[in-house]
Amino acid sequence: MTTDLQERLPERTAVPTRSRRGRAAPPWWFTVPALLLFTFVVLVPSARGVYYAFTDWDGLDPDFAVIGLDNFTAIADDPDALQAIWHTLLIAVAITVIQNGIGLLLALGVNTMIKSRNFLRALLFAPAVITPIVTAYLWRNLLGPDGAVNSLLSAIGLDSWRQNWLGDPDLALWMIVLVVVWQFAGYSMVIFLAGLQSIPKEIYEAAAIDGSGPVRRFWSVVRPLLAPALTINLMLSIIGGIKLFDQVYALTGGGPGHATDTISTLIYKDAFTLGEFGYSIALAVVLTAIVAVASAGQYAVLNRNERAAS
Amino acid sequence: MRTRRSAAVAAAMTAATLLAACSSGTGSGSGAGGDNQTLTIASVDQGSVEKVVDAFKAANPGVTVNLTTSGADQYQQQIRTQLSSGTAPDVMTVWPGNGNPGATYVIAKPGYLLDLSDQPWAGQLPESFKKVAQYEGKTYNALFGLNGIGAVYNDEAMTKAGLTAPGTWTDLLTFCKDAAGKGTPAFALGIQDNWVTQIALYALVATTVYGTDSDFDTKMAAGQATFAGSPWTTAMAKYQEMNSAGCFQKDPLGTSYEASQTLAATGKTLGIIQGNWIIGLLKQKNPSGTFTMKALPATDDPASFVMPAAAGAGYGINAKAKNKELALKFVTFVMSPAGMKIFNEAQGSLPTLPDAGTTVDPGLADLTTFVKDNRTVPFMDQLWPNAKVQQTMLSGLQEIFSNQATADEVLTDMDTDYKAGS
Repeated sequence: MTTDLQERLPERTAVPTRSRRGRAAPPWWFTVPALLLFTFVVLVPSARGVYYAFTDWDGLDPDFAVIGLDNFTAIADDPDALQAIWHTLLIAVAITVIQNGIGLLLALGVNTMIKSRNFLRALLFAPAVITPIVTAYLWRNLLGPDGAVNSLLSAIGLDSWRQNWLGDPDLALWMIVLVVVWQFAGYSMVIFLAGLQSIPKEIYEAAAIDGSGPVRRFWSVVRPLLAPALTINLMLSIIGGIKLFDQVYALTGGGPGHATDTISTLIYKDAFTLGEFGYSIALAVVLTAIVAVASAGQYAVLNRNERAAS
Repeated sequence: MRTRRSAAVAAAMTAATLLAACSSGTGSGSGAGGDNQTLTIASVDQGSVEKVVDAFKAANPGVTVNLTTSGADQYQQQIRTQLSSGTAPDVMTVWPGNGNPGATYVIAKPGYLLDLSDQPWAGQLPESFKKVAQYEGKTYNALFGLNGIGAVYNDEAMTKAGLTAPGTWTDLLTFCKDAAGKGTPAFALGIQDNWVTQIALYALVATTVYGTDSDFDTKMAAGQATFAGSPWTTAMAKYQEMNSAGCFQKDPLGTSYEASQTLAATGKTLGIIQGNWIIGLLKQKNPSGTFTMKALPATDDPASFVMPAAAGAGYGINAKAKNKELALKFVTFVMSPAGMKIFNEAQGSLPTLPDAGTTVDPGLADLTTFVKDNRTVPFMDQLWPNAKVQQTMLSGLQEIFSNQATADEVLTDMDTDYKAGS
């Protein structure tokens, strides 16, 4: 249908491009100061950092050797590192799906005309303004063996539901997801809400007059028009999930054992506890590559959908 | 359109690089003044070093001291950055022996520490401390305090439960059952913080391994012994036996170090297996409480008991100190009876040199006797060749407690890391 429209209205789709071309382009050297700044503040230091991924530097001794790809092959042979990469991807996907699912439902809820909507919006967003490390320590206490969560379960007669929430390797990872989702679902909600409010009322009304129910209206009107908000939300939550550190470190420290180690906590431990800077920078390079591939891939897919929908 | 997409990809890549790059912080540079009356010190002894610095300033009028204190994790990260970039302070905390990123061997090896062998106290240090204050025969670390590990009992809770401290391994298991039966488990265990996992194990290893073989470290270093198949296996089994006998409160893996202190201080458990530093922390939570440290029984022969006791972190001098003379003066003060007494009393540690005149907490009488009778062994990790052995042990113990690994697997992994060398 889109292509049909484009064929029928060639002059309309061409207009913005033409006007852009028609404007006098600023001289290329206008970008030089910004490029220089970017090169010397970002690119050069990052490249110099990456260089150490190919050395056995211990963070202290000025005599170190260049060891080629040894650090990277060591990552491939290190069960702790592979497990951490798996945990990282699992956490990122879980957070992305659950946080955005809940965020969207909350946004739809507070986008209605209910009386307390402004209060609810503020309340639901409130956790997002707290520093993650603080919420993590709060939850660490709430989820302790005699913490509020277990006490609450006992109080309502659910003694058998009491768990060692953070000390059980099968549960700990999901508790981290829970804490992150609890804190940032409101953040996703706000972005979805902005998207929802930019949808003109007339379209809803027209759809309603045409006889479509709420589900149909959501699927055919809201969903496509919400695509830009979804793109931003997914991008933010997947990047945030992949590089998650504070919450993991404060809640479990990567434990019990290595049960909740992510790439970020492993980078920290390898560098600052074990003094294996070369290895840990190699891990950071792997993390960077994962973030780049995930976000670029996601952007490409969602951007296509967005354009198809608009 | 293609350019736009590749621009988006480039933007995403850049953002990603930035995200990973922004984690690398810079150490706070310490700008020492050009005059020779300013001394810079970096320390982890929060709460005690301040008192020593005040006394040092009072004894040396006109001297300015720039003191920064931080937690061990943060400190180890910062000091490495400062040393390698030439911005390290004149005097700094250095851990004894090897096995952590701020330890004597690690920092002395690349030549960052000043040789203190000609200082009068260097010759007076007892032999067991010389081993960990020296690197290749030269003294680099002014060790002022001694810490021990044992079972620390809450006297009031013990009286209430009508129980007495166990004297043998068999007694210990009965004690645990009786204590659990009264609803107050014997010991608080907070191994959510993974460093805590090693403490009870060290208390058991001291007797089971070193009680019968005081040369175990030498044999390990020579490759004649391994963790797996040695009495370390016995100690591991006893640790697990204590757990299944109900010696610890429920869910130790979900309990933090902080929470375990509260349990022991308030009498929800009868005690805690910890270092002597815990007594000060327990008294903060329960100012009226009294606490007594005893050796943790690991066999049925009390004569064979050995307690882990080792030098705590001491001070080293930067080889490139801006003010060497004043730095030496400070370290001499730390090792003098006056300085050592202040440090020991603020930290609850024992002095490393005789005649410091330190008033020792009465609850530490047992530890003092063991030290005097030479029935102690340094913390096991202090002579391990790298930091990884200890980290493998710490996460391995958490895995044992959560049934993710067996004791034999963990000991074998520790052997692998040990053999990897420095």
